[in-house]
Amino acid sequence: MTIKNQEVAEKNWSGQTMVSTDYLLFEAPREKHFMTGSEVTKEAMKRCTVDASVSYPITPQSEAAHLIGELWAEGYIGTYFRGENEFGVMSEVAGCAMAGARTVTTTSGPGTLRAMENFPMWSGTRIPCQLILMARGINSPLTIQPDNLEVSFLLETGCMIWYAENVQELFDMTIAAFTVAEMPDVHVPIITAVDGFFVSHTRESVMLPADDIALRRYDPYAAPLPPIDSEMPPGRFLRDPFVMKSNYISYATHASWQWEVRSAVERSIPYARHYLKGLLHVTGDQDAEIVFVTCGTASHQAKEAHRELAKMGIKSKVVKLRTIRPFPHADLVEATKSATHIFVPEFNVVGWLDKEVTNSLYGKCDAKIVGRPRVAGGMSMPVEAILREVLENVEVKKGA
Amino acid sequence: MSVDIYKINPEFRDIMPQEIIDLEDNATWAGESVEKRGISDLTDKKEILEEHSLCAGCPEAAALRYILAALPTPEETIIVNSTGCTSLMFPHIALHTVHSLFGNQNAVASGIKRTLEWRFPDKVKDVVVLAGDGATIDIGLDYTLQSFFRQEKITTICFDNEVYANTGGQESGSTPKGQVFKMAPKGKVFEKVPMWELAVTSGCQYSVKLTASAPKKVAKVLREAILIARELGPTYIHLYTPCILEIGLAANEGLWEMKEQDKDRFADFKFVTPEAEAYLKECKKKGLV
Amino acid sequence: MANLGPAYYSPYPVATYDGLLTPPEGKALLLTDIVDEEVAMREIARVMLTSENATIFPGPQVLYAWNDEAKKKATLIKEMAEVLNAKMIPMYDYRPKYPKIDAEVEINPNHPNLTIWHNNIKACIFIGVHCHYANVALKIVRSETDCYTAAICGLSGHEDAMATIRDQHSAELAKFIEIAKEVKQELGK
Repeated sequence: MTIKNQEVAEKNWSGQTMVSTDYLLFEAPREKHFMTGSEVTKEAMKRCTVDASVSYPITPQSEAAHLIGELWAEGYIGTYFRGENEFGVMSEVAGCAMAGARTVTTTSGPGTLRAMENFPMWSGTRIPCQLILMARGINSPLTIQPDNLEVSFLLETGCMIWYAENVQELFDMTIAAFTVAEMPDVHVPIITAVDGFFVSHTRESVMLPADDIALRRYDPYAAPLPPIDSEMPPGRFLRDPFVMKSNYISYATHASWQWEVRSAVERSIPYARHYLKGLLHVTGDQDAEIVFVTCGTASHQAKEAHRELAKMGIKSKVVKLRTIRPFPHADLVEATKSATHIFVPEFNVVGWLDKEVTNSLYGKCDAKIVGRPRVAGGMSMPVEAILREVLENVEVKKGA
Repeated sequence: MSVDIYKINPEFRDIMPQEIIDLEDNATWAGESVEKRGISDLTDKKEILEEHSLCAGCPEAAALRYILAALPTPEETIIVNSTGCTSLMFPHIALHTVHSLFGNQNAVASGIKRTLEWRFPDKVKDVVVLAGDGATIDIGLDYTLQSFFRQEKITTICFDNEVYANTGGQESGSTPKGQVFKMAPKGKVFEKVPMWELAVTSGCQYSVKLTASAPKKVAKVLREAILIARELGPTYIHLYTPCILEIGLAANEGLWEMKEQDKDRFADFKFVTPEAEAYLKECKKKGLV
Repeated sequence: MANLGPAYYSPYPVATYDGLLTPPEGKALLLTDIVDEEVAMREIARVMLTSENATIFPGPQVLYAWNDEAKKKATLIKEMAEVLNAKMIPMYDYRPKYPKIDAEVEINPNHPNLTIWHNNIKACIFIGVHCHYANVALKIVRSETDCYTAAICGLSGHEDAMATIRDQHSAELAKFIEIAKEVKQELGK
């Protein structure tokens, strides 16, 4: 086993050899394990040289959160504690990241909404923290079951949003997330979303690299703003001031700042492409006219539908979006070139992904876009439901 | 090391404004001489606060100047602020500071303090919270008290003007019972919240209530609070800084109002744990207080 | 689309929305084209030498002597100003200054247009300014002025400037100065 850049192979505080992200994700030999999404979160964070984490309990992310706490007790994470509620936790995370820590936290559903005020603050102040979001339903009425309506609330917070399909992808994405978020020309928060229970609590086979290697440390001085630690000029530095007093400021400052945050998300595209091996992933028949555009667990169900359709002699393909923000506009146009019908199956009632896809493809694609099936509140998405939509909507020619 | 961030490269000295040159040449950064900083610096040394937009005669502005003059090691001090009139002064303070949302100041400060202890285990970096009564006691009560429960090593300073002044004068939890303000047109129904007592029961090592009528008194209390927070746990200062505008006083009447309250609502209150008391004695011997 | 402004009124559209990102490692950005670093350096020098009131805006990362690299850069920037016949106006911090900036002698990311208008600056170089504030300023300058902006960046570069070079440390600044001297001679300035 060779480690690139052997001459700079330092160890972190827990004795792991620090390696490049490319090595950790693409080159290090891997072994098979069998574990849940929550357990893989611990494995991923263990290999990330994390400085800080703050937790709060809410189903279904509590297990992932407390496992990160175990990492701290085992010496892998610099500082960790349980906060008082999600709004407090996200503010504590902001403090950690502003002071120069590589920081991770987790939340779900009502917790996300409770913390909401923090997310545009996070992106506005350009902190590269990671939020692992295990999607669950929003009250009222209460449900702890999987439903990803909450992601729609996060779309315009200025944070990056990536969506993992399964336990393996959750592992790789949460590691890549730090690297991409910490690029100096990106440096905005990243939300790595995954469906609660379907991924967090389901055991799958995963391939993991050894745990004696880890990411290199975060450098808070290679950042678009100085950290709050009194070590870098300017000595007079407030993060972040009111920018609306018109006698000595241009209102355009606020507008410019907001566009800078969104620009930062766009700048992540080349890095996300590299570390995720594509902003989207296409499987199935490359020239199919029936296309499923999906994210998360719905991708898995769509792939099952593809297999069933193939048995019927009907071609289809699945375009799984890995990134929601930045939205992969150019890649989606390319991937749906052959489509006459696009189906967007989702685990929520409003069809936020359908809206994103329709908006993105407007004027660029002639396909009929069908935002169905939609299931919510913990319902599963049986393959039969997807097949029914296809067969009802498409005049099927064999071999089409 | 940190004072170097204020040192100007000689090539640029002739294009820098006087205020920046003064910060390098004439400000009292502690360096090795913590004992030398104090209120007397306000007469002829460069202050850490520049011109700001608060009302003429505002007691908050005066109190902030006393506090900045009293910090033991300003170049290693982070101040976390919250929305309110104090926020208008913060961009003009020559330190690394944070303004974040409203009410979450103690949460943000907790994250900063823990990270700085992790990243700089051999350095002393003080984290101070400075916010109004609305931020500390109403919208932020949860986060303020929880940071005390957790024993965060932070000094929390509440600038109490007994009202939400920056938004036009609404009742706050810190308003005295019966006072008429906006949103309490019939007068406040419940008593002024005794935040300095809540600080004690919530685990503060040191909790003080006073007005800003006497600069040296404010300076002493601030110095004690920060030193104790470095070693033992959370400390709390409840400071009366009246909004002369909202209570109908003139620019030069703030001091008189504070002196009146020294005998009334803001008569001295001081709580110090035995450990903190013992620690202060040691500090006195070293000339740090 | 970081073509020369003014882009009418609002900081929109910003360069990324037209697909322009920071240049890849080893390259530079000139208007909307990815070019070799030296090509951009020559053009920056040429514009600075041939524009009215060309000015360098040094930021906190080079103004203060906080490490050896900053001290080296200070000396090089001073030389750069002499070679380019440029003034220097500092961006010494990022606060929204109260009551207002003195536009003749300082620039601030919250109102960079004031300084550009007051001094009638037609070409400028931002150097040593933290990336976030450089970007905020560059978007406003482009939308509201006709000033040609160049950003010399120690990290990834700035796509909202008309010209940007990246990963610039003291060695690269020295190289830029040599190129600028050549261009100066060619132009007979």
